[in-house]
Amino acid sequence: MRDSVILGGNSHPELLQRICRDLDVQPAEIHSSLFANGETNVSIAESVREKTVYVVQSACGEVNDAFMELLIMISACKAASAKSVVAVMPLFPYSRQLNLRDVLNVSSKEASKIAQQQQPFETPLAKKPPPRLGDLAQPPITPVRTNIGMSISPVRPCFNRQLSVVAPPKEENVEPQYNPGFKCWMANPGELMARLLTTAGADRIITMDLHDPQYQGFFDIPVDNLYGRPLLEQYIATKIPDWRHAVIVSPDAGGAKRATSIADHLGMDFALIHKDGRNNATLLVGDVAGKVVILLDDLVDSGKTMTRAAKVVKDHGATMVYGICTHGVFSGDALHRLKKSINCFVTTNSVPQHENQAEFGEWIQVVDVAHVLAEAIRRIHNGESISMLFDHAVGVV
Amino acid sequence: MSTNSIKLLTGDVHRNLAELVSKNLGQSLCKVNINRESNREVYLNLGESVRDEDVYIICQIGSGDVNDRVFELLIMINACKTASARRITAVLPNFPYARQDRKDKSRAPITAKLMANMLQTAGCNHVITMDLHASQIQGFFDVPVDNLYAEPSVVQYLKTNVDYRNSIIVSPDAGGAKRAASLADQLDLNFALIHKERARANEVSKMVLVGDVTGKVCILVDDMADTCGTLAKAADTLLDNGADSVIAIVTHGILSGKAIETINGSRLHSVVCTNTVPIEDKMERSPKLKRLDVSNVLAEAIRRLHNGESVSYLFRHVQ
Repeated sequence: MRDSVILGGNSHPELLQRICRDLDVQPAEIHSSLFANGETNVSIAESVREKTVYVVQSACGEVNDAFMELLIMISACKAASAKSVVAVMPLFPYSRQLNLRDVLNVSSKEASKIAQQQQPFETPLAKKPPPRLGDLAQPPITPVRTNIGMSISPVRPCFNRQLSVVAPPKEENVEPQYNPGFKCWMANPGELMARLLTTAGADRIITMDLHDPQYQGFFDIPVDNLYGRPLLEQYIATKIPDWRHAVIVSPDAGGAKRATSIADHLGMDFALIHKDGRNNATLLVGDVAGKVVILLDDLVDSGKTMTRAAKVVKDHGATMVYGICTHGVFSGDALHRLKKSINCFVTTNSVPQHENQAEFGEWIQVVDVAHVLAEAIRRIHNGESISMLFDHAVGVV
Repeated sequence: MSTNSIKLLTGDVHRNLAELVSKNLGQSLCKVNINRESNREVYLNLGESVRDEDVYIICQIGSGDVNDRVFELLIMINACKTASARRITAVLPNFPYARQDRKDKSRAPITAKLMANMLQTAGCNHVITMDLHASQIQGFFDVPVDNLYAEPSVVQYLKTNVDYRNSIIVSPDAGGAKRAASLADQLDLNFALIHKERARANEVSKMVLVGDVTGKVCILVDDMADTCGTLAKAADTLLDNGADSVIAIVTHGILSGKAIETINGSRLHSVVCTNTVPIEDKMERSPKLKRLDVSNVLAEAIRRLHNGESVSYLFRHVQ
């Protein structure tokens, strides 16, 4: 590739090597480390003047350090007269959608209780005016808080053939309380991360399976969102025996579209698991009895959603459960938890997986995304269309 | 409904300074719920409405986890912005990446400039900081930056805690000569200078003393102490040249790496750091470490900024 430099940070050196091998170039030499005080220090050892620089950094490990390193690398390249800088981020940071319950790390019941305690309309330090003489004779007025909020009674799920309900644990089955007044909403940092990349000087982003496709709209620069789907489809069609009779299951309602697109493409059946927030019931929509189930999600971190889904489909008679995701973050003991309920897990190396492979062996299958990223880089560099990559797998599983 | 009052925010770690400032202002800290994913992604929610309020986010950044603190601050600023705050002021007493302020070699990043851009991108309308490593960093911003000085607090500290009439102010390097000279003027003292030849970053090779320190209490003044190698060597040089004792006063006690061991093993009598950087945990590990509280300066700056009064009074006086 003429007039190009490929470099990468400390987050995923293996992926950088694989991309460079595919493109038959050497990664540029850079020195990046943390100072003793925790500040990131980057120096680029090769000239980037009038070159197009591709910076490969995935949002794995310590995300803030990795992202800061990426921003510093981009800004250093820009300041060193690079023609343009392309950030190649297989996993985009801060792309999750969390609600208040997740932030407080409590059940929905506790979250609403905490939300009620936060009363913004009373400043705690506001001094009461001194009582006037006339007031002293009267008994103090206790403020009465009227509950003007709707209290929603638990809704009975409508039973029919397709819909089956798993009984929720008893203590969780409490009527949620709704707090009138101040609504605790969540800050969404994803949009900020997008603007920070532009601020640092990125001219283009290459990423993969963004959690929300709307993310592309946060950027003022072109974003090439690649799909892991063709690779995963290829895996399913070549490695899973009797896949034509398997069922693709989305572990939550949010992933339904993602799952249906694979199911449609491969001509497979589809089912959906829905967690009813109002009464904590888990509903399975569709039939999995006596079938092989392929659970599909874009990102798996704690693995709780996947584990719960695996339990539901097994309760409904699934013979075997595969788990498939693009981004396997797997924090804590996620994989140990998943291994108990899932027969085989398939993910990509958008996040380093060699340690997991060493520990779990054949149980975890890793699909290489370097080919897709490399081909995208090559095509973008040559000004060719990349839409072919959206539908066809590159490389061999 | 809105009163456009001061709203003080801070993260969930290093709350000490923010609590002191809040006590000074008689204004409680807003509740912020913070959740860290296992990969340290920060997701937060503001427990109070900040619509049309004057928001001050106090962020104490020291050593270790600098990037985590930076992103926490940026996300908090952005959250306030999307929550329709009228003005968002970042109170960053110790400005992160302040030392990476120039392109000193080919393709070196100017991270201080990047920090300035990032803060503005997040939605910061004003910055309050203290003793910037290079005051030119103010020019990196398109928004107003109030660079406060720890000097009045230092003068007050020396007048009350040190036999300052028998003292001499010493700058441990040529770059800090101006700062030391200004402090010497304030206290009407002489000043000396140590010239050092630096071989590599965080390493000091040779020191030459300019000035007479015989029989004096030497007060080493610097804006920042990181590994403390410079201070320890400067103390050696001064004592070898006949100084009576050596005290170091620094604004930002970053104290990373083996700094505490270096201080404990050095011939320094004491090291006084302001609380722009969290040092409470380090004070337990070193009896020589002393804290100089500057929360009153920050609180007064916040009060004056909120009321639209001049801040320059604070450059010379302690409230």
